[in-house]
Amino acid sequence: MPPSIHPVDLIVALRAKHLTPAIVFLTSRRACDEAMQAFDHSHIVLPPVRQEAIAAVLDKVIAQYPSIAEHPLIPIVQRIGVAAHHAGHLPSWKIAVEELMRHGCLDAVFATTTLAAGVDFPARTVIITQSSIRKSRDFMDLTIGEVQQIAGRAGRRGKDLVGFAIVTPSPYIDLTVLTKGFTGHPEAINSQFVISYPMVLNLLKAHPLDQIQPILAKSFAQFQLNQRAEVLERKLDDLRVQMDPFGPRVCTDWIAEWQTFDQVRRQKTHRAPIRKFESPEIAARFHFLTPGRVVGFGRSRGVVLRQYRSKGQKSPMITALRQGGGITESPASTVTEISDRILDCVDAPVYPWCTPGTVEELLQSLDELPTKLPELPILIPKSNEPIPDAIVQILGDFACPTCPSRAACQNDYPLASKLRQEQQRHIKSIQALRTSLWHRFQEKIDVLQQFGYLTPMARLTDDGEWARLIRIDHSLLITELLRANAFNGADPAMLAAVMSSISNDDDRPGSFPRVSSGLASLLGQVRKLAASLSPHEEPPLLRADIAAVTERWIGDPTLTWIGLCKSTSMAEGDIYRLLARTLEFLSQLHTLKATHPGLADTASRAIAALRRGVLEELP
Amino acid sequence: MTTEELEQLLAQQPIALLHRLARGRVQRHFRAGKRRLIEVLLRHSAENRAGFESDLMTLIGEKPVQPAPAPPHATTVRKSKLSAPPYRLGKRPAGPESQEPGITLATWLEGLGVPSSLQPFIPDAWQENAIAKLRESDVVVSVPTGSGKTYVAVEAARRAIAENRTVIYTSPLKALSNTKYTEFSKIFGADQVGILTGDRRENRQAPLLIMTTEILRNLLYDAGGGEIDVRLDTLGLVILDESQYIADPERGVVWEETIIFCPSQAKLLLLSASIGNPHDIADWLTSIRQMPCHLIKHSTRTVPLRAGYLHPNGKLSPLFRTVGIPHGHQGHLHPEAKRLFAQYEDETQPSGRRR
Ligand SMILES: Nc1ncnc2c1ncn2[C@@H]1O[C@H](COP(=O)(O)OP(=O)(O)O)[C@@H](O)[C@H]1O
Repeated sequence: MPPSIHPVDLIVALRAKHLTPAIVFLTSRRACDEAMQAFDHSHIVLPPVRQEAIAAVLDKVIAQYPSIAEHPLIPIVQRIGVAAHHAGHLPSWKIAVEELMRHGCLDAVFATTTLAAGVDFPARTVIITQSSIRKSRDFMDLTIGEVQQIAGRAGRRGKDLVGFAIVTPSPYIDLTVLTKGFTGHPEAINSQFVISYPMVLNLLKAHPLDQIQPILAKSFAQFQLNQRAEVLERKLDDLRVQMDPFGPRVCTDWIAEWQTFDQVRRQKTHRAPIRKFESPEIAARFHFLTPGRVVGFGRSRGVVLRQYRSKGQKSPMITALRQGGGITESPASTVTEISDRILDCVDAPVYPWCTPGTVEELLQSLDELPTKLPELPILIPKSNEPIPDAIVQILGDFACPTCPSRAACQNDYPLASKLRQEQQRHIKSIQALRTSLWHRFQEKIDVLQQFGYLTPMARLTDDGEWARLIRIDHSLLITELLRANAFNGADPAMLAAVMSSISNDDDRPGSFPRVSSGLASLLGQVRKLAASLSPHEEPPLLRADIAAVTERWIGDPTLTWIGLCKSTSMAEGDIYRLLARTLEFLSQLHTLKATHPGLADTASRAIAALRRGVLEELP
Repeated sequence: MTTEELEQLLAQQPIALLHRLARGRVQRHFRAGKRRLIEVLLRHSAENRAGFESDLMTLIGEKPVQPAPAPPHATTVRKSKLSAPPYRLGKRPAGPESQEPGITLATWLEGLGVPSSLQPFIPDAWQENAIAKLRESDVVVSVPTGSGKTYVAVEAARRAIAENRTVIYTSPLKALSNTKYTEFSKIFGADQVGILTGDRRENRQAPLLIMTTEILRNLLYDAGGGEIDVRLDTLGLVILDESQYIADPERGVVWEETIIFCPSQAKLLLLSASIGNPHDIADWLTSIRQMPCHLIKHSTRTVPLRAGYLHPNGKLSPLFRTVGIPHGHQGHLHPEAKRLFAQYEDETQPSGRRR
């Protein structure tokens, strides 16, 4: 059996059951293009009336966007009444397909799932062939919300009495994901608040530092953090009730008292010569390897799930959740870095030592942490000698051995101390939840002060005043480039090319035109600066080959769109998007005309040169 | 675990889990489909079988708890084909009713067709309600795709314009902004509508301005810094379409900034597809805005939806046993669809037996 239905058979089957028009969602652009090619030798031919209707609609679109007049797909679309629509196409072609669909001229459109989020584009039937989509670098299962968004395209109000969402299997499918998606309740959505340099500059432009915290507190992020803090506060209340029987006894803080006494007692009797062979560093640090603590292991990072001592040697051990999802048991000595971060971690008495839901959250929080974290300052006792002698003498000072409450203390200590630890952990987590946004904001302030965009009093410096107008990704790199005068003497083509390489985040290989030596050396400079900024801002890909596409387009005003497309293996739609994004970056540079007149002028010349042909005709 | 058992266990996992398992083991695993992925994972597992199995079990353990497995009598039926029931939680329909026959294809297809075109346009109750509530409060609308959110936006905008107020309408994508610009220009007249995107500025003094959410955020920042670009003092209504974008990892923050800095005299209208926690959004707005926020939500689709299964050989079957979608019962698969899909899985097994 073939791994999935043949596109021609699919369309024939849908027509036979009157399930057209349909949107067929496929996994990739390539799959959409191949599906179209599958019709090359098919016998499907639309009756002349329908072909004419398609031609009439296309004529109208072509009048507005002449660039698609010669589009290679037009003949086949007209012959079979089926089209493809994906990000590799020019927006004008996509508009044409949308228009055809709106007029009811097409039986089906092969599309990628980006369509589900992008345009208003309903049909009678939706065909689903996949249960996962590629997000950044990995394939992820579709969420319930996404399945419903895709299926929701089926059934046009006013044109259909019912809509159909039909699953057809392919090697990419996991039926459970889809049935869950159809029948489930969509997921709750979560805030994705990130604090960027432009946000900090713009907020501090309008508000003094002491008003920032209340503003951050208005975010949805803080609203949701507060919800989590409230859950913990309720747990704290419960703990307080559970702690009731363990209030003050003969001594006020009997738990601490008993703990010290007990420790000293054990040391004395050598019942557990645990710390004998431990270096003081390890002993001191082990205290801080508590659940939720973010730690480093050489180059990777993890979060502590529990600490314990090994059965035989009683050496200090931790169970840690590593980035990427592994759960490992390692000696505490393998920890190379103890950060000052504690993630919120609901622990459990058995493997994996926290609730299953927590693992996902922890992994996500781990991934979201900045690359550099402050280390926890830990005081390490100087002497390597165990302390017994000194303490053993003090043993005489403990009242415990003869205290009337001794039996009760001994009996209650394990539970009471466990509850107290839990209490302290919750208190810490709550505090972290309430203040984390503000801390993140302060971290950004520190960097901006270090670079001289903010004064020590967190007011905008002269550089800060213009830098706040750069409100795009990689803003720090761009403003630092301007301060280093990197574009002095650069012509419009070079400026635009560098902006392209900063804006592009697509790492797919391909063939591209050659880059000029001037641009290559300028990009070398940009790369160096980006690398030096990497502790503070993720460096962009800075591909020279991508920059070369823009350089050619601007550098050679006689170059046609077709000529440009032929010079690279990039898809038309991708080239368009690259240039459109470059336009956006350039227009941000243009807003700096008051402080950087030369640069603003180069930017506006680049904009003028860039906006021709297809880029001029499109909205 | 025997290799067969391992293979079966892998086959039962969602593909995302397989990708996580493949991380660091298999290069370019994100290009592989499920079958292929299982094949390479199995090959790889030979290197360190114990480690591989323990990682797999860890990942399976992390998955949220699934509904209880079916009682034994339901599982024995298919045991020969889909064995290893302990790991197949949730995939199997629960309860004795799973033996119930499904509806026929003809019933499933019934009702297909076009409504008579003579129906007058009568606004739905939720649409009227949203527009009415917007008089005294902010409104969050969370309804299924295709319900008619645009009508609410248009009517709310019409009223605000009649009261000499400026209206800003934002969408997440430039393409959508352009579509709405055309659509609204037809409704309100070209002189009443303006557009501002990254590189397009037309008719910016018009009472109804369409822009991407980023542009509005920038306007609000500039207004905060003292430089007024568009007349925000007359702003009466801000409509944020597709506001489920607030959960977008890269751009979501822009929606938060826009909402935080939206002038208090302007009403906010958030239009969103169905999300799991619309009340959180409404409660959040209530907590930070001058006035309480009203939530309009429903999950029933106006045009009913039916789910089907199409076999590669062209055979069509309902996907569920019921005509509509059995909400909350993902196991209520149609016997025919179940049989066909099991057959598909069997025949496309990685280790051969391909016919
Ligand atoms: N009350 C109504 N009665 C009939 N048709 C309606 C009604 N409200 C909206 N529609 C139609 O439903 C279709 C979908 O509306 P739209 O606003 O695009 O949905 P969405 O909620 O996805 O934005 C449009 O064609 C619209 O004209």
